[in-house]
Amino acid sequence: MRTALLASLFVASLASTALADSSGKKIALSNNYAGNSWRQAMLGSWKKVGQQAVADKIVAAADAFTTADKDAPSQAAQVQNLILQGYDAIVIDAASPDALNGSIKQACDAGIVVVAFDGLVTEPCAYKVTIDLANVYGAEEIRQIAKRLPNGGNLLYVRGLAGTSIDADITKGVEAEIAKHPNLKIVASVNGDWDETTAQKAVATVLPSLPTIAGVVDQGGDGYGTAQAFKAAGKPMPLIMLGNRQDELAWWKSMIPSGYNTWSGSEAPGMSTFAFWVAQQILDGKKVPKEVPMNILTIEQPDLDKYLASTPVGGVANAEYTQDEVVKAIAAASK
Amino acid sequence: MNAIRRAAAQPWMLSFVGAVLVFVAAIIIAGGHGAGGMASAAASLAVFTVIVGLGQMFVVTLGPGNVDLSLPANIGLASAVAMKIMAGHNGMILPGILAAIGSGMVIGLVNYLLIAALRIPPIIATLSASFIIQTVDISYGRGLQVKPPPAFEAMSDARILGVPLLVLIALIVSALLAVVLHKQVFGRSVMAIGQNQRAAWLAGIAVGRIRCLTYILCGALGGLDGVLLAGYFRGSSVDIGDEYLLASIAVVVIGGTSVGGGQATVLGLWGAALFLVFLQIMLNTLGADAGMRLLITGLVIIGVITVAGGGRRARR
Repeated sequence: MRTALLASLFVASLASTALADSSGKKIALSNNYAGNSWRQAMLGSWKKVGQQAVADKIVAAADAFTTADKDAPSQAAQVQNLILQGYDAIVIDAASPDALNGSIKQACDAGIVVVAFDGLVTEPCAYKVTIDLANVYGAEEIRQIAKRLPNGGNLLYVRGLAGTSIDADITKGVEAEIAKHPNLKIVASVNGDWDETTAQKAVATVLPSLPTIAGVVDQGGDGYGTAQAFKAAGKPMPLIMLGNRQDELAWWKSMIPSGYNTWSGSEAPGMSTFAFWVAQQILDGKKVPKEVPMNILTIEQPDLDKYLASTPVGGVANAEYTQDEVVKAIAAASK
Repeated sequence: MNAIRRAAAQPWMLSFVGAVLVFVAAIIIAGGHGAGGMASAAASLAVFTVIVGLGQMFVVTLGPGNVDLSLPANIGLASAVAMKIMAGHNGMILPGILAAIGSGMVIGLVNYLLIAALRIPPIIATLSASFIIQTVDISYGRGLQVKPPPAFEAMSDARILGVPLLVLIALIVSALLAVVLHKQVFGRSVMAIGQNQRAAWLAGIAVGRIRCLTYILCGALGGLDGVLLAGYFRGSSVDIGDEYLLASIAVVVIGGTSVGGGQATVLGLWGAALFLVFLQIMLNTLGADAGMRLLITGLVIIGVITVAGGGRRARR
């Protein structure tokens, strides 16, 4: 009996030296919405990479939790549940930049590592996977439009969900960059809520009163609906920036014969896996800065077929991140 | 002169007056441009509110407490069922439409069973049913937007003599249901139950059966709306029906149907649906930001219901 115990202790100590320190740690994903293709792909990528990491004994658990409704109070309650359930790290896509700060502070105080991505939080104790959306997305769209419309023209801006930090950030970049291009003018903006249906409705209501639109700035997930609204109203098709959705990419491909050349960019849903590896590195005892920047996934015409082939019908172009990529990103951010 | 006064006293009149006023305001804001485009966009978008509004109207007419809050979830599921069954094949359009309506009817039946068998108030029964339906939808549709077949897309955009086909479908459905409501035993029974359930029962009306059929009818209209939305907006999605929770109730009330039940008007639904769409067109044309849009929409609905409700109380 005693020898058996000793033997198992010996094996356990061997194993712990062979494996990462995070091998006994549990990571939870706190998510507040699952009703669109982006979030579904985000959860799918998390599951894929998380299960593999559990199978490889890198972490003990990588569970995903989604609240029943979109609002912040339900997610705050969910975070408190995760604290009680004894997770070592919580990776969170937050419903609000500050409404969850109280719960997140409680988690930090309980010694839990909190890593926010996509929907970020302002609580200073949380680690953040940041994307400079203002520059790499908002301003970049205007640069791409300016490149394709050298003579300028009227722009329509289809914004995201009002009141979200994502919408505010992208808009900041759009406004800053458009000031540098006097021949481009935003003549109207509507809220498409990153949703084809909402975007199509919103654009349909505003189109009849607008002059000829040369380009559409948007925030992804709304490009196809916007195109349908232009088509239904019988207006000439403008240059519409796209957001990596399969229907947007397929529509782009169908427009290529007419010389249509646009640009597509969006956060890859697999960024949840980037946040996962950041959490794992912290649990592993690595030194990680409070902010780890990453880039968005952009698609230009030569890559279109490749991404179209790998994106499921109705889904969004995706890329998952490896531990190595994240280790490199952390090293770059630490400099 | 008398005819005008009679028309002005009709409960549905107010909604049309509102729609015209907001339409004119939108044209003025747009500087006189695009009136035709606005009217066409408004009619196309109003269709979807009218169809769910018809279902909600029948349910509300059953009397105090009756309401179907499962419509948004019902629409979302029906859109997914229809698109998955059609699976992009033109030959499967009719089965897809029928399946969507069937899915809505099943939801209506479940709603009624929750209300009648488990004695749960409709507001809670239909709201909790909607959580279940939404979960079924998410696991069935996986959040993917399945596209409609090409012929169904073409149908959604088709126009006959300049009038969108969807508008014609909604007009036909409205006309049929107006006849059912005012001329058929079923419709008269719904109104009788709404006026006094006990009196209706004593008069020999099969109250349970009529209520059950009403919830099924409402579910079927939600299902029909789901498939039409999926065609017009090029694909199913879980939250495609989200805005019809408030909208379906708002058009019923603004349209002049009595919130307390027993009185209904199909015509008013059209006025109210057009009013709400024109309001969105006006606010978007004005360039109001999202907060301002929601604020004004809310205030206007409260204002109209106060005015309309006050007028109705006075008539009683």
